[in-house]
Amino acid sequence: MILVIAEQRGGRLNRATLETIAAAQQLAAIASLPVSVLVPGAGAAGAAGEIGALQVKEVIAVDNAALEPYTPDGFTAALQDAIGQLSPTYVLLPHTYQTRDFAPKLAARMDRALITDVTGVKSTGGQTAFVRPMFQGKLTADVTPQGSAPYFVTLQIGAYRADQAAKGAAAAPVRALAVKVDASAIREKPEAPFQQAKQAVDLSQAERIVSVGRGIKEQTNIAIAQKLAEALGAEIAASRPICDAGWLPMERQVGSSGQTVAPKLYVALGISGAIQHLVGMKGSSTVVAINKDPDAPIFEIADYGIVGDLFEVVPAIIDAVKQ
Amino acid sequence: MMTTIVFWLLFLTFVSVFAAQVARRVRLIAAAPNTFSLDDVPFRIRRFATDVILQKRTIQERPVAGLMHAFVFWGFVAFALYTTVEFLYGLGIVDLRYTAWFGRYRIFLAPFAVAVLVGITYLLIRRAFVRPIALGTHVSIESIVIACFIATLMITYLLTFRLEEGTLAGRINWWVHVLVILAFLALIPASKHFHLVISPITVFLKSPELGNLPNLDFEKEQVGLETVKDLGSKSVLDAFTCVECGRCQVNCPAWGAGKELNPKAIILQTQDALLAGDREKKLGEVYTEKVLWQCTTCGACENQCPVGIEHLPILIGSRRGLVSNGDAPEYLGAMYNNLERRSNIWGLGYDQRAKFVQAAGLETFDAARHDVLVWLGCAGSFDADFQKSLRSLFEILRARQVKFGVLAKERCNGDPAKRTGNEYMFQELANANIEDLKAAAPKKILTSCPHCVKTIGSDYRKFGYAVEVVHSSVFVEELTRHGSASLSGERSRRTDVSGPRQTVTFHDPCYLGRYGGKVDEPRELIARFGGAIREPVRNRDNPFCCGAGGGLLFADKEEEPGSRISDVRFKQLRDTGANTVVTACPFCSIMLKGAQASAGADTQFVDLMTFVKDRL
Repeated sequence: MILVIAEQRGGRLNRATLETIAAAQQLAAIASLPVSVLVPGAGAAGAAGEIGALQVKEVIAVDNAALEPYTPDGFTAALQDAIGQLSPTYVLLPHTYQTRDFAPKLAARMDRALITDVTGVKSTGGQTAFVRPMFQGKLTADVTPQGSAPYFVTLQIGAYRADQAAKGAAAAPVRALAVKVDASAIREKPEAPFQQAKQAVDLSQAERIVSVGRGIKEQTNIAIAQKLAEALGAEIAASRPICDAGWLPMERQVGSSGQTVAPKLYVALGISGAIQHLVGMKGSSTVVAINKDPDAPIFEIADYGIVGDLFEVVPAIIDAVKQ
Repeated sequence: MMTTIVFWLLFLTFVSVFAAQVARRVRLIAAAPNTFSLDDVPFRIRRFATDVILQKRTIQERPVAGLMHAFVFWGFVAFALYTTVEFLYGLGIVDLRYTAWFGRYRIFLAPFAVAVLVGITYLLIRRAFVRPIALGTHVSIESIVIACFIATLMITYLLTFRLEEGTLAGRINWWVHVLVILAFLALIPASKHFHLVISPITVFLKSPELGNLPNLDFEKEQVGLETVKDLGSKSVLDAFTCVECGRCQVNCPAWGAGKELNPKAIILQTQDALLAGDREKKLGEVYTEKVLWQCTTCGACENQCPVGIEHLPILIGSRRGLVSNGDAPEYLGAMYNNLERRSNIWGLGYDQRAKFVQAAGLETFDAARHDVLVWLGCAGSFDADFQKSLRSLFEILRARQVKFGVLAKERCNGDPAKRTGNEYMFQELANANIEDLKAAAPKKILTSCPHCVKTIGSDYRKFGYAVEVVHSSVFVEELTRHGSASLSGERSRRTDVSGPRQTVTFHDPCYLGRYGGKVDEPRELIARFGGAIREPVRNRDNPFCCGAGGGLLFADKEEEPGSRISDVRFKQLRDTGANTVVTACPFCSIMLKGAQASAGADTQFVDLMTFVKDRL
C-alpha cells in the first residue's frame, strides 16, 4: 500500500496534498500498489470528501485529541500507531513546513529512511527510484530506498500539479481509524495560531510587473506606466528614488532595500539598473528594459532591451498590447 | 608635631578612599578575560609620545580646547615633583623645600601655573556656559568642582610667592593646597577624571590596529560577547578611562544622521553595567540590539578617541554574541544566505563574473607570467557599474605594460560577515580564499575595493597568510608618477596638464583613508590628472562614512529617506560646490549614487580609475 498523509486545517485541504496524491498515483503504476490517503486531525471528514473523488482505494480519517492543535510529538505518536496498523510500503507526504517539522522525527522513531524534497518518481532497472535535487539544485540524484518498508518520501511543492491527480470512477470509501496516543508524551504546548499582518502589496506573487525608475522624470508621468500595467494586467513597482520621493508607496519598492520579486515578466521603465535594484528582481523570467542610456547596466541582464525614449516607446507598446 | 599627625590621618583617610575605589576597578579588570596585548612596542611608544606627551589627538580636532587641555596636562606633569616635595614635608619625612634645586624648580613652575590657569579657565567657561553637545546635555557639577580645584591649586601655589612662610595666611594657604589635592584624589576614581591616572596606560595598551578583532577560536567554543562578564579586560579598562569628551559621538556617522547609536553612551553604559555588578546581563540589553546594528564599523570613534578606547571590539564583539544566538536582523539573514549559497553578498551566480572576465579579456593569474593578481571582489564581479571603473583600471595597466591576471574563481573576502559578527562564515570564506591564493602564489594583489585591501591585507594575516595588498589608487599613483611628465619633485604639477582644472570633490573611503591611511595618493592622482579638489568637511583620515560598512549596505529598508547616513554624506559633498564626486570604493559609490538619485540631484560621480583613464 502507498499511504499518502494529507494535510488539512479545519477541513480545508492543503493543495500540496493533491500534488502528493498525483505523485502517489504515478508510483502506484510503477510499483503496482494501491493508494490510500490518511487524513489526520479534527475536521478530517470535510477534507475526506474532496479526496474521495480522486482515484484512490480508500480514505482513512484519523481523529484524535493528540492531533489538535498540531504538535510534532502528537503527530509523530498518532501516525506511528496508524502506520503500524496499516503497514504501508511507502508513506508519501507533501514537503510542507508541517511535514518538515514532524516527518524526520517520525522516520527516525521508526528507524526508516526518509527521502526528502522529491521531484519525480521513476523506475530504473526494475527498481523504484525517487528523483531529488542536490547541491542547491545543480544536480539531481535518483535515490532508491534501502532496508525494510515503510519508506518515507516527501514531495517538493509544485513538482506535480494538483490537477494531474486522476479522478476515480466512484467515490472512494471513507473509514475512521482509531489510534492510541499517550497524551502525557506530548511535550509541546502551542499557543493560539496567529496570522502575521499581511503586506498591503505582495509583489512577490505578481506574475507581471511594470517598474518605474528615475527616467520617468516627474510624478505625473507615473500615469503612463500605470496605463501599461493595466494593459498588461501587471502590478506597478519602482526603484528606490521613486518611493523616496513619495511618487509611489514604499511597499512598491523593488530591490535590496525593498521587495524581492520573481515575476514572469518584468518591464523596467527608465531604470538604470543599479546593483541594489538588480538583486531584487534577478529572479524574473523575462526582463524587458526601456532606457535612453545604451550603457545602462539594466541592459546587462535584460532579455529584451529598447534604447529609446520611454515616453514614445511605452504608448506604442500599450497600443500594440490593446490590439 | 600635632599638625604632622593630623596630616597623616587626613592623608591615610583620603588615600584609602582613593585606593578602595581604584581596587574595585582593578578587580573588575582582573576578573575579565584577558585581552591585553603588547605587540609592536615601537609603535606603541611612538603613539604614547604623540598622543599622551604631545596631546596630538586631543589638539588636532579641537585646536583651542585641545591646547588648553595640553596646558593643564603639561602643568600637572610639571607639578608632580612639587606636590611630592610638599607631601614629604607634610608627612614629616623630609623637608626639601629649601634646597637650591627646589628653589629654581619652584620658579620654573610659574609659567606652567599661569598656563594651567588660562587653560582651566577656558575649559571651565566652555563647559559651564558654551556647553558643546559633545560634552553632554547637562552640566556636570563634579567637572566644575574639579576645575575649581585645579584653579585653586595654581592660585595657592602662586600665593606662596607673596605670603610669608610661618604666617597664618601662609599656613592656611599651604593647608588649602594639600587638602584640595587630597580631596581631588578621593574624587577622581569614580569620575571621568580617572583618565588622569589610567589614560596613559590605556593609550599604551590600545591595539596598533584600528578595529582589532582577534579571530574567535571555535575549538575553545568562543562565540563572541554575550553578557557583561564576557567583556575583555581592555574593554573594562576602556570603560573606566572614558573622559566623556564626546569626540567619538560627534564623529559617529550614525549619531550624525540622527540614529540612536552614540559610541560614548556605549562606553558609559559598559561602565555602569560593570559597577552595578550585572555580570549576567545580556549586552543586547545593556546597549539595546537596535543600537548595535547601527554601527557602520567606520572606526571614527576609536580613531578619534584621545584616551585609547577601542569601541569596535565591543560593538562587533556584541554582534558576534547576537549572531551566535541567531539574533541577527532579517536583512543580514538574507545576506548570509547569499554568502553561504553563492559566496557573494548579492546572491548572484558566478557565471556573471565569468562573463565579465571573458568580456574584459582577463587572463587567469599565473605567477610566472603576471606581475600582479587583480582581485575583483563582490562589486567587481557583479556590479556592472563598478565593472566600468575596473575596465578603466585594466586600460591603465595595459597602457603601462603591467602584466596582470585574475583568479579563476573568487569568493567574497568575508568582510560583511566579519563586521556583522558572523565569525564562523568569515572564517570559512577566508580559509577557502587563502587556499586559492596560496595556490596562485601572487607576490602582490591589486584591488579597487578598500574593504578587500583591509580584509585580505590585514585580517588574513591572523590566519598566517601575509601578502602585499594594494589599492588601485596607490598602485596607479606610483605607476603614473614618472609618465611623460618630468621627474622633478613637483609630482602634482604635471607639465602636460594644460587648460583649466576640473573642480571635483573627493570622498575618502573609511577603509582606505582611516583604516589604510592612504589619503595622499588619491589626491595626488586627481591633481596630476587635472582635477582641483574642493575638500568636503570630514576628509582624509577622518571621513564621514557613506553608510555601507558593517553590513549596512543592505539595511536601509527601515530608514526614512533623508535620514540615511548616505544622505547626510551626499549633502556634505554637494556643499563643496563641486559638481563631480570622485570615489574610490564601490560601496561608497553605490550608497552615494543612491542618495543622489533620492535627492534628485544632478551631481556626477566618477570612480578614480575612470577619472585617470580618461585623462591618461
